[in-house]
Amino acid sequence: MIDALFFGRVAEALGQRRTQIDVPAEGLSLLSLRARLFIGDDDSKVLMSVNQVIQSGDQALHDGDEVAFFSVFSGG
Amino acid sequence: MIMADIDVKLLPETLDPVQEHAAFLACFGHLGAVTAFTGVVRAAAKDVIVDYLYLDWYPGMTEASMHAIAETAAERFEIAALVIRHRCAKVKAGQPVVFVAAASSHRRAAFEAVDYMMDRLKSEAALWKREVGPDIDHWIEPTGKDAEDLQRWSKP
Repeated sequence: MIDALFFGRVAEALGQRRTQIDVPAEGLSLLSLRARLFIGDDDSKVLMSVNQVIQSGDQALHDGDEVAFFSVFSGG
Repeated sequence: MIMADIDVKLLPETLDPVQEHAAFLACFGHLGAVTAFTGVVRAAAKDVIVDYLYLDWYPGMTEASMHAIAETAAERFEIAALVIRHRCAKVKAGQPVVFVAAASSHRRAAFEAVDYMMDRLKSEAALWKREVGPDIDHWIEPTGKDAEDLQRWSKP
């Protein structure tokens, strides 16, 4: 099971803050998860992290991973 | 290298900068120089009334992002003690949203460390800020000015 979290503008666009997804037998990559969650590929402003570390490219996901999708930070 | 005393907290309910400053001064005032900055939610942005900010956060990652900024500041400016207090969730206009302080044996280093941390917090703290008022309700994106402020610290 993968825990997918959403923050900021992405959470608002998807209308949810969290969902859980089973890893299929053929495996699941970060970008395929993003596509499956209907987060637009063309939106370069969507950032991703795996286990709280920001990732820019694709990578295989594993059972127990915490994946997050979010808009650019605007803290401070 | 001497390890700096770094204390970072994300506060969902309240932030009292006077109390934070007094506590920091009591612990580290003996060093000689203590500087502090408090950011308060503006009641208006470009003449538009703001009722409150809502700061979304990622538990764990948000604190880690702020801690990393403090660590870099401590190393870069040779600061003995740093504190960051940041609100999250709903923060009404007029309420403090961020408090940053640095203690050092030299005032310039303490001033610079606070300035540096604020510039980095604006762009790199894992927070998502929404501005809400009678006529507005939108997510805030980092501005060109924020990028410019950050750029100041990459100059030789």
